[in-house]
Amino acid sequence: MLNMININKRFRTELVQTQALADFSLEVKEGEFVTVTGPSGCGKTTFLNIAGLLETFDSGQYLLDGQDVSHMNDYQRAKLRNQKIGFIFQSFNLMPDLNLFDNVDVPLRYRGMGAAERRERIERALESVGLLARKKHLPSQLSGGQQQRVAIARALVGEPRFLLADEPTGNLDSNTAAGVMELLQEINQQGTTIIMVTHDVGLASRSARNVHILDGRIQSDVINSDVINSESTAA
Amino acid sequence: MTSSLELGPITRALMRNKLGVVLIALQIAFTMTVIVNAIDIIHDRTLKITSPTGMEEDDIFSIRSFGFDSSINAQVLIDEDLDMIRQLPGVVDASRVNAVPASGSGSSSGYAIEPGRRELTVPAAQYSVDEHALNTMGLTLVAGRDFTPEDVRRRTATETRSADQIIVSLALAEEMFPGEGLQAVGRTIYSAEDKPLRIIGIVERLQSPWPNATDWIVERSLMIPDVVIDNSSIYLVRTVPGQRDALMADVEERLAGAGYDRILMNNKSVAQMRTELYRMDTAMARVLYTVIGTLIFITALGIIGLAVFSINKRRKQIGTRRALGATRGGILRYLLVENLLISAAGVLFGAVLTIGFNIFLVRTFDIPRLDWYYAPLGMLVLLLLGQMAALGPAVNASRVAPAQAISPSH
Repeated sequence: MLNMININKRFRTELVQTQALADFSLEVKEGEFVTVTGPSGCGKTTFLNIAGLLETFDSGQYLLDGQDVSHMNDYQRAKLRNQKIGFIFQSFNLMPDLNLFDNVDVPLRYRGMGAAERRERIERALESVGLLARKKHLPSQLSGGQQQRVAIARALVGEPRFLLADEPTGNLDSNTAAGVMELLQEINQQGTTIIMVTHDVGLASRSARNVHILDGRIQSDVINSDVINSESTAA
Repeated sequence: MTSSLELGPITRALMRNKLGVVLIALQIAFTMTVIVNAIDIIHDRTLKITSPTGMEEDDIFSIRSFGFDSSINAQVLIDEDLDMIRQLPGVVDASRVNAVPASGSGSSSGYAIEPGRRELTVPAAQYSVDEHALNTMGLTLVAGRDFTPEDVRRRTATETRSADQIIVSLALAEEMFPGEGLQAVGRTIYSAEDKPLRIIGIVERLQSPWPNATDWIVERSLMIPDVVIDNSSIYLVRTVPGQRDALMADVEERLAGAGYDRILMNNKSVAQMRTELYRMDTAMARVLYTVIGTLIFITALGIIGLAVFSINKRRKQIGTRRALGATRGGILRYLLVENLLISAAGVLFGAVLTIGFNIFLVRTFDIPRLDWYYAPLGMLVLLLLGQMAALGPAVNASRVAPAQAISPSH
C-alpha cells in the first residue's frame, strides 16, 4: 500500500541544514491503522507531507499503491493525491465561505465528476458523519467536532485508498476527540488504510500499530496485539 | 465543464464577502463609465481635428498685408503682389480672399431658397474670392464651373452692387435642396437682404473658417466672386509639394521689399492654423487620455490589491485545495474565474452607468450620443484589464505549496 525505502529529506537555510528524515523506511499494508508519534521536530510532519505527496524528498524511493511516485511532477502528484489520498487536518481546513455541501464537493470537482454523481456521493458522505441535514450550513455554524466530521466526510467522499490524518483530535475536547477516533476506527474497519500523526499517547495506544519517530528515524514500530485481537473479536 | 469552473461555489462564496466585492465592482463600473465617455469625447474631437477642409492643406499658406500709406492704389498693389507671387517658381497659384478655412476668422450669413422667408434661412460661411481661389485652394468641383475673370466683381467698400453668382459646398447644396444637392447648379438662393444668388458650381467640400464650431456651420460654405478693394488683403498661396516652407519666407521677403509701407502678418501654413485652432481640443484630448490612463492604473491597482489581499488571507485554503487535488492550473483558473465574476458584475453595472452618464452629457453639454458598440467594447476591455491585473497574483497563488495546508504558520 505505502512503501518508503531509505527516504532522506533535508531542509536548508543560509545558516543551518536540518535532516528531517534520515534513511526513513516504512511499509504500511492495506487496511492498517497506523499511528505516528514523536516529539515536536522529530520529522512527523515531514513524513506526513511526503506520504501525502505534499512535498518532495531528496533521495530514496516511495511506492504508493505499487506506483513509484519518486519522480512524478507536480501535476501527476496532484492527480494522484486527488485519486488515492484523503486528508484530515488538525484545524479541519474547511473553506469558511462554502457551505458543508460545497466543502465536501471540493475534491470531487478536481476529479471532473458529473454533477449527479457528485451530489449522490456528497450526500452519502455527509450522511455517514451524521450531518446531511446541515448541508447548507457554514462551517462557522458548527462545533469543532462537527467541523472535523465534515472534514472526514470530505476526505472520504472520493473513496480514497488511504487517509492521512494530522492530529485530527488536536483541537477537540476529550469527549469529542473520542467520538472522532471511533469514527476513524469505523472507517478503518470498513477497509480504508489510515495513517494518523498524533501527540496523544492514549490515542496511539488504541491503534493496531504505532510508529515512533525520533530525529528523522523510526525509533520503534510496535504492533499492538491487544487492539488487533479486540478488532478480530469485534469483527 | 461547469463543475471545473466552480461557478456556483465561487458565486456563493463571493456573496458571503459582499463588501470587498462590491467596492471593487463599483470601482470597475465607475472607471468604465468615465473611460467610455471620455473616449467618445476624444473620438468626437479627433474627428473634428482631422476632418479635411477640402483644400490641398499641406501645400497652402496665407499671409496678410495691411497697407498704411494712404497714397497707395490698393487695386494696383493687389495686382502687383499677386502677379509677383504667381510668377515665383514653385507657386501653383495665388488668390486674394477674405478668409481662410480653418483659420478661425471669417464671415457668415444666412441664405434661403425663397426671398422673404427668414424662417427658412440656412447659415453658411461666405468666402469673397477671385477667379483663382478654387485652383489655389485645390478644391474639387463636382458640378458646374469655376469662376471666370468676367464673373468677378471688384468694388470698393462703399459700392453696394455685388456679384450675383456663387459656388457652394455640396453640404450647403444638400441642406438647401435636400436630395438634389448635385443638381443645384442653375438654381437661385437668396441672401439675408433677399438678393438672388445663382449657383454656378458645387465643390465636394469646403469647410468654414470655424470647423471646431458646432456642426451646423462646419461644412456649409459658399464662395462669391465679390472682391472688395481696400488696403487689407489676405493672400492665399498654393505651392508644389515640398516647397511651402521655403516659399513662405520668400514671399514675405519679396512683399516686404516691394517698396510699399505696410505691415505683413499672420504668415502661416494651413497646418499651423489647424494646430492653433484645435489647441483646446488637443489639450482636452490629452487631459482625457491622462484621466483614462490614471483611472486604468488605479483600477488595476485596486484589483491587484484585492487579489493579493484575498490570496494572502487564503494561503492555507489554497494549500488545502492543492492537497485535495487541485493542480496549479486549477488554482489559477479558480482565482481568475473569481476575478472574472467580480469584474463582470462591475462592467454590467458600468454599462448601465455609462449609458446613463452619456444621456446626461448629451442633454447637458451637447456631447454626441455613444455609438452602440462603445459599451460592449468598454466591458470587454475592462474585463481583460481585470484579468490581466489579477493574473500576476493568481500565478503566485498557484505556486502555493500544498504543504501549506498543514503549515501551522497560516
